[in-house]
Amino acid sequence: MSKKWFAMLVMMLVVALMLAACGGGGTETTAEPTADTSAAEPTEEMVEPTEEVAEPTEEMAEPTEEMAPTEEAAAPSGDVVELQLMGWSSSDAENVRLQEMVDTFNEQNPDIHVTLNQVPEYDTALQTALAGGAPPDVFYIDSFKLPDFVQAGSLMAIGDQLDDPDDFYPNLRGAFTMDDTFWCPPKDFSTLALQYNKDLFDAAGVEYPTPDWTWDDLQAAAEALTNADNGVYGMVLSPDMARWIAFLYQAGGAVTDEGFTTMTLDSPEAAQAMEFYLGLVTDGYAAQPSDLDSGWAGEAFGKGQAAMAMEGNWIVSYLNDQFPDLNWGVTELPAGPAGKATMSFTVCYGVPAAAAHPDESIRLANWLTGSEGMAAWAGLGLAMPTRASLSEGWLAQYPDLQPFLAGAEYSHPWQFRPGFQDVLDTLNAGLQQAFTGTYTADQVLSEAQEVGNDVLSNQ
Amino acid sequence: MAAATGVKGEDRERAIAGWLFMSPTLLIFGVFIIIPILFALYFSLTDWNGISPPGEANFIGLKNFQELLIGGGIRQADFFKALKNTTYFALGVVPAQTALSLLLAVIVNQAWLRFKGFFRTTYYFPSITSSIAISLMFLFFYQKSGLINQVLGSLTFGRWEPIAWMADPRGLFHIILEALGVTIQNAPDFVKTEVLGLTIWDWISGPSIALMAIMIMNTWTTIGTMMVIFLAALQNVPGFVYEAAQIDGANAWTQFRRITLPLLRPTLFFVVTLGLIGTYQVFDQIYVMSGGGPAKTTLTVAYLVYRSGFTNSDMGMAAAIAILLFIIIFTLTMIQRRITGSEADA
Repeated sequence: MSKKWFAMLVMMLVVALMLAACGGGGTETTAEPTADTSAAEPTEEMVEPTEEVAEPTEEMAEPTEEMAPTEEAAAPSGDVVELQLMGWSSSDAENVRLQEMVDTFNEQNPDIHVTLNQVPEYDTALQTALAGGAPPDVFYIDSFKLPDFVQAGSLMAIGDQLDDPDDFYPNLRGAFTMDDTFWCPPKDFSTLALQYNKDLFDAAGVEYPTPDWTWDDLQAAAEALTNADNGVYGMVLSPDMARWIAFLYQAGGAVTDEGFTTMTLDSPEAAQAMEFYLGLVTDGYAAQPSDLDSGWAGEAFGKGQAAMAMEGNWIVSYLNDQFPDLNWGVTELPAGPAGKATMSFTVCYGVPAAAAHPDESIRLANWLTGSEGMAAWAGLGLAMPTRASLSEGWLAQYPDLQPFLAGAEYSHPWQFRPGFQDVLDTLNAGLQQAFTGTYTADQVLSEAQEVGNDVLSNQ
Repeated sequence: MAAATGVKGEDRERAIAGWLFMSPTLLIFGVFIIIPILFALYFSLTDWNGISPPGEANFIGLKNFQELLIGGGIRQADFFKALKNTTYFALGVVPAQTALSLLLAVIVNQAWLRFKGFFRTTYYFPSITSSIAISLMFLFFYQKSGLINQVLGSLTFGRWEPIAWMADPRGLFHIILEALGVTIQNAPDFVKTEVLGLTIWDWISGPSIALMAIMIMNTWTTIGTMMVIFLAALQNVPGFVYEAAQIDGANAWTQFRRITLPLLRPTLFFVVTLGLIGTYQVFDQIYVMSGGGPAKTTLTVAYLVYRSGFTNSDMGMAAAIAILLFIIIFTLTMIQRRITGSEADA
């Protein structure tokens, strides 16, 4: 009897492994890296970019050499430093271009050899690599995730070691600035703009949108373009904070106060933005992608089921690939009661606090976001250059994408405080309820407000 | 040990040989199962964020558990939301998969059935197909103009209003209550009382449309395995028992109820246990199909473990949830064992 009981306990433990493995992942290496992680331990020090951390001191470089598998390969040839650049895989065109850039960098810098490592399940892979004490030398960081990495003390602040950092757009520097420290250089950025289907506008006899549109124009056009019998909606809107928030800023609201001490989603501006956003849906002038058999707004727009969409630069190559015959245009987002606003989404090249080769890593990040690397990258015409000095050349090459670039002047960064994922999740859950009519605007906002205040008070 | 009276050299050699033969398994079991579990147990007592090296995590005692169980914040609300969803999931899937797989097993076990091999293979097929592939396929079926809505539409002569299954957060019981005229607006006030982070109204929501869609698919993919288990047990029932019953005048239903079911009891216990464990750990289908949405109505406990660890960067909390999940499953299995009774030991 007791044996059976024990056998069952063991069986249950086996089953629990699947979950436990998540917690235990990467723990095998816990013992070794203590020597070099001590440099990263006091987080207060990390916040200020002290020389101590940035300098490639003997103690920092040595123990990590054993952990980086690439090191052994490089050892015989002597002085070539092996670096790993880790990111997620994007479109084929982007993957090829990035590899070309890495090749160019390797040619120009014979003392460094960079390997590009594009991984699926990026967040999970990066997190385990960092926790395991063998981080990649340079890696992508989404602006929304930056605060969590900074709080964990995983990043080296390299903002002040870059060439001409003031050339980066201020709001993009802001996206990677936390606690008054500029952490890492933005690799590129996208802004939200308004895409419109010219054929549907012509058919409905509605004038094409212009940059000086207001909310009223948007609503009137959406109403006129909606043709429920044909399954065509004026607009496709996602139940997603990352879209609604543009309306929040257009209304003059904000998510938190300046000092991140309290949430401000209980403001009348926030209520106005939420009422307007939900109103488009509940009035029947806008639908969410899933109601249009689509995985995301771009698909619904491409299929011609929505006359307008508000997406970022990424929609351009998608539409060109998937819906080459679509007759569409793009303009800036309409202005709200408080004027123009949009969101910028950006990713930076981060260098880990426990970098094995800080100098070389910084050189790589600097080159990739410097005038040469940035020009090569942005030259693809997908995402935009983060350096203002390059914007003119880019615009000359891609005049059609001007509305996206125009947003750089008045866009807000997609970055808040550590733990803000909870606010995003709560607000999105509320929006999903509200889109089906089970939540009011007030419920959506008050729940997010409450969760956000909890998050802020725990910091 | 029987050999305790006098350990002879031969016995000791045998013992050593035994341990040696066991050592590969023990080693693998220890390294990949016991040690990670102990680590998870330890991390559940820390504030490890999963980003910085684990050595930097602070020991915080039972704070994670306290936050999850009585904290009153988003952690508690999310945990009990996930537990609620998972429980609805199990309550729907386990009985359905057990009954359906038993039915299928009895059918394909009939002596008169032709093409048995074909049916057995067909029914088992979903179980051996990649669950990711099946999930993607069902995502298409569940679209607003997808197969399921079309079939329902033609079955009801067009009276079925197509729904976007995977985007609908409305709970089944809420829909039924609404049809009966009860909504949150006119419901008695006590339903707004918060119990364990959720209002009573939230607790009684029932599975959301999106969750039900995943439940249906999960049932479909698991009945094959359960059927094979039942089939093996059915074939162990000696034929003479049925013959004797027939002579005594028992009809097919009586035979099933009085002979098949009692003899299948241990198997039934096994299948229900497997079902409970499987449903309380459902992850991959959620990950592919819904990511916990819409409105967290398909958030399951196992998926919450993943979210907490990797999206919210709170690995200590994730470990704590995993430990709680283990305790829940263990307790449920013990209760179920008690209910099924001693016959399960037969």
